[in-house]
Amino acid sequence: MSGFAQMFDPSYLLFPAVVASVILGLVLPLIGAYLILRRAVFLGLTLPQVAGAGLAFTFWLQQLGVLPHLEAGERSLGIIGSLAFTFVAMGLLGYLERHGSGLAEGRLAAAYALAGALTILFIVFNPAGETEILSLLKGEVIAMSGADIKVMALVFGLVLVGLIYFRRELLLSSFDRDLAFLLRGGVAAWDLLLYFLSGLSIAVGVIMAGPLLVFSFMVLPPLAAKGISRGMARFLLLASLIGALTALLGFYVSVRLDWPLGPTDVTLGCAFVFIAAGLRRMLARTRALVVLASAVVLIWGCSQRPAAPLPAAEALAPEPVWLFRVKNTSGLSLRLPSANPLRSLAEMAGRLSPDARATVMDAMRAALREELQRRGFVVRLPEEKDPRLAAATPDAKAAPTLAREGGFGGAMLFTDIRRWETDSRQFVRAWVELKLVRASDGALLWERTIRRALPTPGAADLGQAYGDAVKALLAEAFQ
Amino acid sequence: MNDNLPLVSLKDATLGYNSDPVVRGVSLEIYPGDFIGLAGANGSGKTTLLRTILGLLPPLGGSVERGCPLADFGYVPQSAALDPNFPLSVEEIVEMGAFGRVRPYHFWPEREKRRVRAVLEQVGLRHLLHRSFFSLSGGQKQRVLIARALMVEPKILILDEPLSGVDPESQKAITDLLVRLNRDQGLAVFFSSHDLVLVRALSDKILRVDRGRIWWERNGGAQ
Repeated sequence: MSGFAQMFDPSYLLFPAVVASVILGLVLPLIGAYLILRRAVFLGLTLPQVAGAGLAFTFWLQQLGVLPHLEAGERSLGIIGSLAFTFVAMGLLGYLERHGSGLAEGRLAAAYALAGALTILFIVFNPAGETEILSLLKGEVIAMSGADIKVMALVFGLVLVGLIYFRRELLLSSFDRDLAFLLRGGVAAWDLLLYFLSGLSIAVGVIMAGPLLVFSFMVLPPLAAKGISRGMARFLLLASLIGALTALLGFYVSVRLDWPLGPTDVTLGCAFVFIAAGLRRMLARTRALVVLASAVVLIWGCSQRPAAPLPAAEALAPEPVWLFRVKNTSGLSLRLPSANPLRSLAEMAGRLSPDARATVMDAMRAALREELQRRGFVVRLPEEKDPRLAAATPDAKAAPTLAREGGFGGAMLFTDIRRWETDSRQFVRAWVELKLVRASDGALLWERTIRRALPTPGAADLGQAYGDAVKALLAEAFQ
Repeated sequence: MNDNLPLVSLKDATLGYNSDPVVRGVSLEIYPGDFIGLAGANGSGKTTLLRTILGLLPPLGGSVERGCPLADFGYVPQSAALDPNFPLSVEEIVEMGAFGRVRPYHFWPEREKRRVRAVLEQVGLRHLLHRSFFSLSGGQKQRVLIARALMVEPKILILDEPLSGVDPESQKAITDLLVRLNRDQGLAVFFSSHDLVLVRALSDKILRVDRGRIWWERNGGAQ
């Protein structure tokens, strides 16, 4: 990705995931703000864990055959399970709050521990679904589909409208229950509304983003905002804005540095808490420092140098682009899985070497050739000129030597796959470098580094996922 | 409203929590224009009586009748009872007094905005409109809470220890304000305090509560 602004382009491959992150960042801090003010922040920790247990329970029931397998996907089923567990837990905790004895914090801590234990047990009971459940519990926002975004927008839109419409009632019932009773005749309805909105957003949020991210979005932005805002309205607005900013920056950093999104957001959220605490002290001294800090953030955000575009085909013509074999420094073989069972049997019997299978490097080189030709370049393969180069995977530094000794003219394209991993069919984590250099002097004409998770939601198998990822990668590299 | 009808009437009421009586045999009536002080030591049952009058606690026995809806009661709690965790401004605190009139889906009416400023003017704190409520002094907080109670447009003000933890200067400002509200607007005032001297100096009628008993005191003697 070449810059921060690109994330806002609807044609950007991960745009749905950006939207999902921002929705979570905008709405969850509002719910969390009320929980923090009511000193019920542990509820924000416990309920996501309970929702996770509900998710694991649902998949266990599915494995037992009690629940049907839905074609629409696991998320729909997971939402039902996590919603049911969340609301039952809230009902039980509410009942114990009214009728039980002992510390509320103790009950929440026990519920948290129980939910964590149940989640693990349900996963152990259902080893067949372990990967899927863990994937959902990790909350891969990055792998969200358009349908998921619609569900999220609907649910969180409803929650947001509820919070805005009833903001006065929710504030009064949270801050001064006696006055709420005198003016409105009771607080039970408003408590119920707040807990309903909390449960709904937590249950759906956990499915989409995982317990860790949900809890951190609920707690960290309000904590950061609380110290630097005067007035409830400003506090809520600021918490929501910090949440959205955390989501955007977290996404950017995650994609740029290839870090997992959840922990990146949590780390950034914590950083905002510390920055806010620092700002609070600075505000007491001078407002100029705030302006300076804002300017630094602004400059940092806008100073990403746009990458040089790919030279026009006419600029090189009639000289060719020499497309070298793609280098693999990932440490993995990156062979494409065989879809032919007979081939697999032959491999097992030792009649056929697995080395004969095509690799991601082959697929990428073929796709690169096609793309360059489509753009009007004359593409040549080095082995056509010198058969000794059929297996060579040189890098850009070798360009002048190759040109001098091999007599290559025009330009040379070197590609290096530094990382190519997947832990589900939902996306491929890739780190690929492409360099186009002038053959005569090795001058760099164009380069791209793609280092991020490439979503492959529609892939039926690993081979298709790899193929989709290659296409997505080249689409981004050459855009 | 007929001035001869009581705003609140308790008849032989037993007050307490969870079937544990705190004060027994409470009979009293509060009329428009009354200025009543409730004096008693800490833990004697003053707050229990106030909460019963406000309908926040059901009586364990006897009866409690009100001559006006609960929304016409202006309640001023002790500022220490409010949670400082909330980052509320003075304006937002005072606005709460009108939450009973403004429906959830309505924008904040201009009339209420003007009224917020007017009641703050009345308590002499108009200049603190945008200040953080919990950064104010004890006396200022108490006056803001009185402003919030006035936002209700009440017929009676019920104040729980309004002078507790307040410096002498603020005490004078608050008592002057209460007297003015009672005298100029005919607002009934019912307040509690552990300071009997202050209650005697301020009130037309004095209620004493001690060890589960309650009685009227006038001109230094029991009624």
